[in-house]
Amino acid sequence: MLGFRSILILSLVGSLAGCVSSRIEQQRVAATGITGDEAVVLLGRASYNDKQTEESFTDCLANALTKGKNPIRLISQSQFMDDLYPWFEPRTAPTSANELGELFSQPGVRERISEYNVRYLAWIEGDTITIDSGGSMSCTISTFGGGCFGMSYWEEDASYEASIWDLQSMTSTGQISADATGTSYLAGLVIPIPILARPGNAACKGLASQLKDFIIGDS
Amino acid sequence: MRGFWLICVLLLQGCTTSVVVVGTVPTPLVARIPARIGVYYSDEYKHFRHQEAIRDSGTWNIDLGAQNLSFARNLLGSMFQSVEEVHEPPLTTEEMTDLDGIIIPHIKKYGFLTPSISGLKFYSASIEYRIVMFDKTGKKIGDWNIVGYGKSEGGLFGSDEAVNEATVLAIRDGGARLAIELIDQPAIQAWLKRLASQDQAGSVANSIEEEV
Repeated sequence: MLGFRSILILSLVGSLAGCVSSRIEQQRVAATGITGDEAVVLLGRASYNDKQTEESFTDCLANALTKGKNPIRLISQSQFMDDLYPWFEPRTAPTSANELGELFSQPGVRERISEYNVRYLAWIEGDTITIDSGGSMSCTISTFGGGCFGMSYWEEDASYEASIWDLQSMTSTGQISADATGTSYLAGLVIPIPILARPGNAACKGLASQLKDFIIGDS
Repeated sequence: MRGFWLICVLLLQGCTTSVVVVGTVPTPLVARIPARIGVYYSDEYKHFRHQEAIRDSGTWNIDLGAQNLSFARNLLGSMFQSVEEVHEPPLTTEEMTDLDGIIIPHIKKYGFLTPSISGLKFYSASIEYRIVMFDKTGKKIGDWNIVGYGKSEGGLFGSDEAVNEATVLAIRDGGARLAIELIDQPAIQAWLKRLASQDQAGSVANSIEEEV
């Protein structure tokens, strides 16, 4: 019985979620569409400053795009980067769709992309950062038992943008941005109770849904 | 007493992180430089190791020799018309008969940063390579320094895996720069022109001999 109660408490605690507010914006500059045999590549932008799109975020997007209604065929980022090495490395990748023409003139690049039948490249840029935190909590343990008391919180901001390039027309077709903020709490009432807001997850879901609709377009 | 020594050994081992760098070796998609090249990998290059003691995270032993060597072999093999591994230069005239030049890669510096040092969320690594090239006669064509950078999220991996990942990316980044930029170096362009004119002169001489 005690085991069942523990599981129940854990389930309740796990289901506590903090509030997240999110905003998705889209800017379309060209019509899009995709056929069943065409593929998309999601590439996380990496630069050598203190920012980099987390791999977990692109994995989350990939997961959402390949499942559900109208799944999209994706080529994995690592496979694409290996097969097109050295053209999509952090310091050699094209930074704008205008550079695609020059890239495609390199020997073998156009053929390799055609082999995969890649229609769109989606560059994912952004990250999740902690913008505020506070409160305090202390935990003690003794021979008579232990517990945690107090409360702490942290506010996170997830800000991502997807730039979609059409490799057929070699143009940029538009951008989608997703911003989400949320505050998580950790309340210590003998046992620590987390109330987690997951702005990164909210941004991923919002961006994935919009990105899917954007790519499918009128097709 | 034996138990005491065992504990001491375990404690000492706990302060050392050993990383044998392992990763993918992609084949570059670049136009081959029309030259037959000899490449010399020194023992230091083949077995490159980095050891560093960092406050708060102990001693790091990073063995990147094997991954670096396998990467360089694959990279240079795809960049030139033909590649042959040679002994330490100078080579004799006979040994240079089927070669147009020699390339010697060196690792000048390797370094890495943990999040506790950089204050960032990432582990990062950098490798500075020095690439020296000689022509058929042993005259230096050029000497270039290339720095490769890599970084890896600390949260997803253990610290040793993150350093491995960052180092693999640094090797990859250095290789990408070499594959793309070497052909555009003025000294390389001049050398290739000389090779092309020698080939032309050689084929004219051959056709004259045949006619005679």
